[in-house]
Amino acid sequence: MTDTRTAAQTFVPESEVKRFSPTWFGDLAIRYAMVIVMVLIIAFFLYRSARFGTVDNLQTILVAAAPFALIALGQTLVILTGGIDLSVGSVIAAAAVFGSLTAKAFPDQIWLAIVAGVVVGFIAGAINGFVVSVIKVPPFIATLGMLTLASGVAYVAGNGAPITGLPADFSRIANAQFGGLTLPVILMIVGILGLAIVMRRTTWGMRVYAIGGNPVAAGIAGINVGRTIFSVYAISGMLAGISGVMLASRVTLGAPNLGVGYELDAIAAVVIGGASLLGGRGSIWGTALGLLLIQTLNNGLDILTVPAYWQKVIKGVLIVAAVAVDVWATRRRSR
Amino acid sequence: MFTKKSRIAAAFAVTSVAALMLAGCGAGDPNANAGGGDDSGQERITIGVSVYDMSSFVTEGKEGIERYAEENNIEILWNSAGLDVNTQASQVDQYVTAGVDAIVVIPVQADSLQPQIAAAKAADIPFFDVNASLNSEDLTGSVQPDDVAAGEQEAQMMMDALGGTGNVIILQGPLGGSGEINRGKGIDNVLAENPDVKVLAKDTANWKRDEAVNKVSNWISAFGDDIDGVIAQNDDMGLGALQALKEAGMTDVPIVGIDGIADGLEAVKNGDFIGTSLQNGTVELSAGVAYAAAIVRGEDVKENPIYLMPAITKDNVDEAIGHVVTERDAFLKNLSEMTNKNLKSGNIAYEGLTGQSE
Repeated sequence: MTDTRTAAQTFVPESEVKRFSPTWFGDLAIRYAMVIVMVLIIAFFLYRSARFGTVDNLQTILVAAAPFALIALGQTLVILTGGIDLSVGSVIAAAAVFGSLTAKAFPDQIWLAIVAGVVVGFIAGAINGFVVSVIKVPPFIATLGMLTLASGVAYVAGNGAPITGLPADFSRIANAQFGGLTLPVILMIVGILGLAIVMRRTTWGMRVYAIGGNPVAAGIAGINVGRTIFSVYAISGMLAGISGVMLASRVTLGAPNLGVGYELDAIAAVVIGGASLLGGRGSIWGTALGLLLIQTLNNGLDILTVPAYWQKVIKGVLIVAAVAVDVWATRRRSR
Repeated sequence: MFTKKSRIAAAFAVTSVAALMLAGCGAGDPNANAGGGDDSGQERITIGVSVYDMSSFVTEGKEGIERYAEENNIEILWNSAGLDVNTQASQVDQYVTAGVDAIVVIPVQADSLQPQIAAAKAADIPFFDVNASLNSEDLTGSVQPDDVAAGEQEAQMMMDALGGTGNVIILQGPLGGSGEINRGKGIDNVLAENPDVKVLAKDTANWKRDEAVNKVSNWISAFGDDIDGVIAQNDDMGLGALQALKEAGMTDVPIVGIDGIADGLEAVKNGDFIGTSLQNGTVELSAGVAYAAAIVRGEDVKENPIYLMPAITKDNVDEAIGHVVTERDAFLKNLSEMTNKNLKSGNIAYEGLTGQSE
């Protein structure tokens, strides 16, 4: 069935769609599809459980979301440039182990543990960035290699063992409260707000979008593509490093298998939030929404005692559905 | 293209990679030569070991294996499968190809490795499952903890703490593994005898502390103060539950676990856990390897010894901590002798704790 009309004849520019017409509602529904899904999910859980809609439960969701939030933010930046970072889960593990070792070695300067985590994350991210931007290895391969490397380093550093016997101060990192919110939650909020502003209002943010949209054109326009790409991977690594130390602090254990599989949740959050894996499209707020959607699902399904494996099925269906809706919407808009 | 900044970054990255590689080369494979000098006059044999993951338990046990191997002229080839069945299958394949004298596996999944066991049988390599079981008729031998008894033991501790009535939440190990299946059976046995105890929720946290924290946090949202007790199929998950309860300000909820890892024993000592069942990795895993070696060398030992986990409560937790943590070196010194004696008697869990009999 070939459509012989040209694109120009059938394309209705947004400004000419009549307000409150079916097309207008359709456009709105698609653009905010994920918000609608989120509202429906929250309504469902509120209906099914009285305990879901409490302030305490909201705090539970935020605390669980925090380690995923940081890596999802980093993943957004990377995906916006058309790349991907598969290594963040392993970088979390490596940072957790090194942070724990540092905490044991310097129990009176716990902040050094956080620094250790950031440094480990930065090194991993920098290597990723270098390999992708200078050596030009495809991001999938480069970060896949780092996934294995960082995981191995995490095991080597602890001699195969989780780091136990951590000083009591170390667990305070994740539990320290400021105004009723724990440190990881504050970092999550600050991270989302901060990056949202950076991506919209700074030249660096614009460059990231430009590169994702069309790297060749961006280069011709004078953007230092290599340097910007390097920076997004380095940032993704550092955020994973911070996340690793926070996670180790919350469970008071420097385990080399912390964070395993977290990269998939990060990518899922970004994708559900409307980003295109080809780059150039997406937003920090979208990722935040995707992240909260996944975490709310985890929380609500646990409250309703839905078994863990069913939860995985539901999550998987949601990811595919989200991308499918997005792809269909893009096609529809430009038909 | 190669600006000054990117050249500096490049130099930095290349140096770090080179340094890492050199470190890797220098360290060599510390595991391939765990068997050192000939202390016992026995012929040197090689045993290939594949474990499901480097959990706290396995890591503590590895030391026991290495020490026993060193003092009994055994070379250990070591591999961890990272909770992946296929990885474990490949590792076992490699051992068969390498022609080791015996293969010892702590399996990822009970229903796995059938082709590998068959291949080992065809190559005349004795195959043993230790600590968790493989569903196969072709295994040469098996050194298993009595997980059902351990499940019953921990559930009974909880029933005693609750006085026979209340609501509990249960944290399971990875579904399908013999640990989860058998400990679950034991827990269910005791629950059947206590009809006034209700199970509010039961789900897996895959032996992991971070999964347990989030799961229990969500259950606290769901059930709040209705939760009277936590039965965790291992200490790591119990400690995760402890963290979640602490965050919610619920500090008086009894928690019971299994394994007796260092952090778990500490929890029993300071009252965070009501008790645990000691699965002394150094004792159990070294017994597994020792049994395999004894079979290979044709020695006379009790067949398929069972590890009966001693109950650890405030009464004997200090001794246990001594064996596992504080006086570990002294304990390891006596390990070989104790293990060899235990193999003859069949009571491989015996380590001299209050409440145990030889």
